Amino acid sequence: MIFALWLRARRWGLLLLPVAMAAAMMAGGAHGLIPAELGIAVLAIVFAPKLAARLVPFGVLGLAVFGVHLARTYRDGNTSQVQYLFVHAGPGAWGFWPVLAEAGVLFAAGLWLLSRLDAPLVRALAGQWLDRRRGGISAIHGLLLIPVVVLSMQLLGPHAWFGREVAGLDVLLVDLAVATAALALIFRSRAWAATVAVAGLLVLGAYGWLIAVFWPAVPGFAYGFSDLSNNSVPAPLWSDALQGSVLLALGLWLTPRVMRHHLAGAPDPELAARARQLTQRVQTLTKTRHDAVDTAAAELRRIERDLHDGAQARLVALGMSLQAAERLFPVNPQAALALVTEAKETSSRALADLRELVRGIYPPVLADRGLADAVRALALDTPLHTELDIDLPGPAAGGHAGPAGTIDMPVAAAVYFAIAEALANAVRHSGARTVRIHLHHAAGALRAQVTDDGAGGADPAAGTGLAGVERRLATFDGILAVSSPPGGPTIVAIEVPCASSSAKTSSC
Amino acid sequence: MRIVIGEDLFLLREGLVKLLSAHGFEIVAAVATAPELLAALVDQRPDVGIVDVRLPPTHTDDGLRAALQARAEVPGLPVLVLSQYVEQLYARELLADQAGGVGYLLKDRVFNDDQFTGAIRTVAAGGTVLDPEVIRKLLDRHSRAEPLTRLTPREREVLALMAEGRSNAAIAQRLFITEKAVSKNAAGIFAKLDLAPSDDDNRRVLAVLAYLES
Repeated sequence: MIFALWLRARRWGLLLLPVAMAAAMMAGGAHGLIPAELGIAVLAIVFAPKLAARLVPFGVLGLAVFGVHLARTYRDGNTSQVQYLFVHAGPGAWGFWPVLAEAGVLFAAGLWLLSRLDAPLVRALAGQWLDRRRGGISAIHGLLLIPVVVLSMQLLGPHAWFGREVAGLDVLLVDLAVATAALALIFRSRAWAATVAVAGLLVLGAYGWLIAVFWPAVPGFAYGFSDLSNNSVPAPLWSDALQGSVLLALGLWLTPRVMRHHLAGAPDPELAARARQLTQRVQTLTKTRHDAVDTAAAELRRIERDLHDGAQARLVALGMSLQAAERLFPVNPQAALALVTEAKETSSRALADLRELVRGIYPPVLADRGLADAVRALALDTPLHTELDIDLPGPAAGGHAGPAGTIDMPVAAAVYFAIAEALANAVRHSGARTVRIHLHHAAGALRAQVTDDGAGGADPAAGTGLAGVERRLATFDGILAVSSPPGGPTIVAIEVPCASSSAKTSSC
Repeated sequence: MRIVIGEDLFLLREGLVKLLSAHGFEIVAAVATAPELLAALVDQRPDVGIVDVRLPPTHTDDGLRAALQARAEVPGLPVLVLSQYVEQLYARELLADQAGGVGYLLKDRVFNDDQFTGAIRTVAAGGTVLDPEVIRKLLDRHSRAEPLTRLTPREREVLALMAEGRSNAAIAQRLFITEKAVSKNAAGIFAKLDLAPSDDDNRRVLAVLAYLES
């Protein structure tokens, strides 16, 4: 158990053992180094397990670099057998490939281990690299195309391409054309100049490393500042590697800026469409919110006025009647009694006023029974023959149900008043005998339709009633349409979407 | 006469208790919620249950539902439903069982205690009492219908009062005419509307309502 825990805590650190052993073997075989290194590794694992774990990826990467070095020295003429971990390179033109392949595998493994064991470090580096996206592309970045073009021409032009002579080109003409194109690009579009420069820097930088490893001893070959034409003795070309590194670094430094520029400069058509949609949505919401606020304010004003002129005034009158009755009782009980009777009637009228007011705010039957029964009650109060076709979800459709069923109360109220207005219009203007009310909930929308058999020819723009209803419905993305050809029938159609996704303003 | 009261507002509940006690009614239970009301109606079997439409727990139409439920369990149990507002829809539901003993009035009808106690007695006796507001709406609905337009203004008044559930005597008193004149008007109405005449007050109300609701 304890051993298992120990293993768990140091399982990555344990990898240091084989790494250390391999490193010792590479360094000199059995010269007493192996026990020493292994001892150090064991000490590190036991006493500094975290440090041991962090050392593992670097050890693996070191082995990979050593493999590349091995492959290179072999390519340079070392004909003796080379043992490199699990493979060994034999004589022959391509004998060093197994070593290189294994070095590649080790390199990948080292990088993976690094990302695994040193995540904060990797994240910090990657994050810093990505953060450069904040910068833009300037003229300087475009100018980097010049060294890229010069170096490319040096490599491609009069000299050699990886050891082969390039012949049959009119060198001067090509140089001129390429230089002109590069300059035109720098002046026309520094973004594209920078983009090409990035590609060139990365490719040429990688190429520098390639020739540092596999130096082709070709007369007249040159890479940047290292002229190899007079060099007859194969030797490590660290200047190539250095130049390659500089180019690679420049390329990597510039890549995020270029990426960012192209991402910003050529927006995703999907994103653009979404942006347009959202802009439209914001406009609609701004308007409907404005309308909703206006409507609510007007409604409050109306309620205040109704209370002031109605119930409040009647209660004042009631108080005055009772006051007068109180005074009259001793002297003229008959008259006092008449005043009390009057006071009772006044209080009845105050109640009637309040009932009417409440009905206009939120009809009690709608609060009690929900939309379906409220519309049934509305139909009963309409002095026309009514036909109902109601199909709403939930218990609200069948008699005794909770308030508003599954439909949001504000939506229910808006639809209720829309139907009430349509019915009132049918009664007032159309001369209809029968009116049909459809109320359905289907396909994510609440739909209502009020059809009368009247004379038609109604102008929806004429009255303020339907316009108000339309504004009220718009708050819920609802719409109202009126069809009223001369001769009828008049159809008022209402639809409120029951949004289920992002742009939700109501549920129904 | 034994009465159960279901009203959630304390002031109104106490007011009703005082008013009805003063008129010699016996209040056997005065409760504030629909479940209590249902239990009181079923257990006490009062002569009349006076019920507010809107009661706890949901503060919607719990009182009405309790009354309907009680009448389902005890057929014909007289209930007088009171409300701040009247709906034909609720009137229909109350009348649906045809059993009589139903009243449906606005709360402010309580102000006229003679009318109110009269309504209680009518309901207790198995009669039907509907608020003039309900009848007004009912008549409005049929105001354009052909047979009603043939009624004289006086006959329309009598029809409305008959629909409210008033007896000939009450109608006569209300309209300051003789009972005989009321009978004559009633006969005229029944003839014009093609209804079978009936002397029984409750049957007469139901016939008139059935006609108006058709």
